[in-house]
Amino acid sequence: MTRDWWKHMVLILGAVIVLAPFYMMVSYSFKSPGEIDRGEGGFFGRQEMMIDPRCVALRQPDRADIEAARARFAGQDDASVQAHLLAETEADCSMRPVVFNYSKAFTEAPLIRYLLNGVIVTVSIFLIQIVVALPAAYALSKLKFWGRDAVFGLVLFCLLIPVHAIALPLYIGLAKLGLTNTYAALVVPWTISVFGIFLMRQFFMTVPDDLIDAARMDGMSELAIVWRVMLPTAIPALLAFAIFSVVAHWNDYFWPRIVVTGNRDLFTPPLGLREFKGDGDGSFFGPMMATATVIVTPLIVAFLLAQRRFIEGITLSGMK
Amino acid sequence: MTVVGPGVTSVAKAKPDNSQARAGWGLVAPALTLMALILLVPIIVAGVLSFTNYSLGNPGFDWVGVQNYERLFTRSTYQKMFVATFTYVITVVPISVGLGLGAALLVHSLGRIGDIYKTIYFLPVMATLLAMAIAWEFMLHPTIGMVNRTLELTCGTWFEALPFFANGCAEGFPLWLGDRDYAIWVVCFIGIWQGFGFNMVLFLAGLTSVHRELYHAAEMDGARSAWERFRLVTWPALGPTTVFVVTISCIRAFQVFDTIEAFWPQGGGPNKSAYVMMFAIFEKGIQQNLIGIGSAITMLFLLFVMFLTLIQRWLVERKVHY
Repeated sequence: MTRDWWKHMVLILGAVIVLAPFYMMVSYSFKSPGEIDRGEGGFFGRQEMMIDPRCVALRQPDRADIEAARARFAGQDDASVQAHLLAETEADCSMRPVVFNYSKAFTEAPLIRYLLNGVIVTVSIFLIQIVVALPAAYALSKLKFWGRDAVFGLVLFCLLIPVHAIALPLYIGLAKLGLTNTYAALVVPWTISVFGIFLMRQFFMTVPDDLIDAARMDGMSELAIVWRVMLPTAIPALLAFAIFSVVAHWNDYFWPRIVVTGNRDLFTPPLGLREFKGDGDGSFFGPMMATATVIVTPLIVAFLLAQRRFIEGITLSGMK
Repeated sequence: MTVVGPGVTSVAKAKPDNSQARAGWGLVAPALTLMALILLVPIIVAGVLSFTNYSLGNPGFDWVGVQNYERLFTRSTYQKMFVATFTYVITVVPISVGLGLGAALLVHSLGRIGDIYKTIYFLPVMATLLAMAIAWEFMLHPTIGMVNRTLELTCGTWFEALPFFANGCAEGFPLWLGDRDYAIWVVCFIGIWQGFGFNMVLFLAGLTSVHRELYHAAEMDGARSAWERFRLVTWPALGPTTVFVVTISCIRAFQVFDTIEAFWPQGGGPNKSAYVMMFAIFEKGIQQNLIGIGSAITMLFLLFVMFLTLIQRWLVERKVHY
């Protein structure tokens, strides 16, 4: 134990650097703009009540308000009525910095919508990938037919092509079809996962032929075998693939950036964050970091809960 | 459906090839179609368009021959693109592979306590890179960022003996993202920060498959120091993993985009010092609708990536015996 201390020193130093931006992101999401500017307040900030300047600006008392409130402040002149009203507005608009940051994150932009889009896109991509890849993998591993080796050779060749790299021709194709700014544009290029086919095929190679023969004896069609025999046996491999696929597409920024331009309803979480950055001035660091925290959290929490599976799943992506 | 007459079986047995062939082609057909439409046709399209001056929305286009490629190799913007891309790849790949290997060896030697470091180092791999790029942008903010604030703490201490700190304390620490001397290195740093945990995990997987007996055998043969054991046993055993890790790191490094776009939405860094290929494809091909030149960059990009992967496969087939 004692002779390992230098290893711990080195690894802890590394850990500090690795964690620094996470620390800062979460910490800023708690703090008030003033604390961020001056670098005070420790990790959580002091959480003193703060006044939201935009909220006050929006609800600045005007003539009509003063007229309406005159009854409540009988016998006072306009200036003092106005001062009273302003104080009330400020009281209404004051809140804890953490509440301010996170409520702004969700109200300033439709963050819930973005998160929902993220879920819709990642889940549809994964399901379609499976529907396409699983039968192909089964055919390539268990059925004998003329041309099978050629098809598998093509799969191996396609493994060389990173889909991100051919973004431009894909974009042209989708634009020609009038599909940009649709969910289809976000999903279509990812419907084929050559890597998924490859992975499943390798897995199916280990499944005994007897199992399939027995199913055929039972009169199952080949398609039924894929879904009722192969799918259940492939669950562990599918889970690893699911993690890889979901992590890749939840975090993807490049492709959504290309095919979704302007239509906020289709923004995925990273695009939403980017938009926040676009119009945020200095005082918006807190809400922006709150947004960043919200979009990073789901995968990180899932990862912390099921590390081994996640690492397996992501590591498999290395083969891509 | 469980009861099948002997007749049915014999019919199925009579023409097994035919029915299997039909089922086989039926099952691969959707995948094959999508592979062709999404992966192969686009490459051909990009290849053809790279010889034209096509723009989306224009009715026609002209063949311009190799003019697009000529531009790529003569214009200074694209020279900067190559410089930035290769600087990034050449910096990030060796360092992230080296750090990944180092971390894996340390973590592996610590046994179960090491797992906590594994978890921590893997976090950046999971986190949305765009969000983390923005977090880094704040870390590196010249006035309110944590990095420069920490550096300022060194003022008045012995650190000031070093020219970098003396200069920083006198005239302020670098702008990092606004300075063309630093910009690409900051991007490289973030690339390493994000990717080395992934490499570490791959190396850890490789390390667990090294047989204990090999170490004992090496020790018997006189390999007493840790370094000798590493050189004689661990390193050769990690050969295939290393080839693999280097290739993926290269491919991933070529595809760097998120950080560049997050830091400099308008144009790839101060003085185009971080104008990497992926950003160039995005800017030229999609934002400026110069599809010919964008396609030419795409083709070059594919060439690099395929070349790398083929080298990897060749190396693995040559050197590795499972």
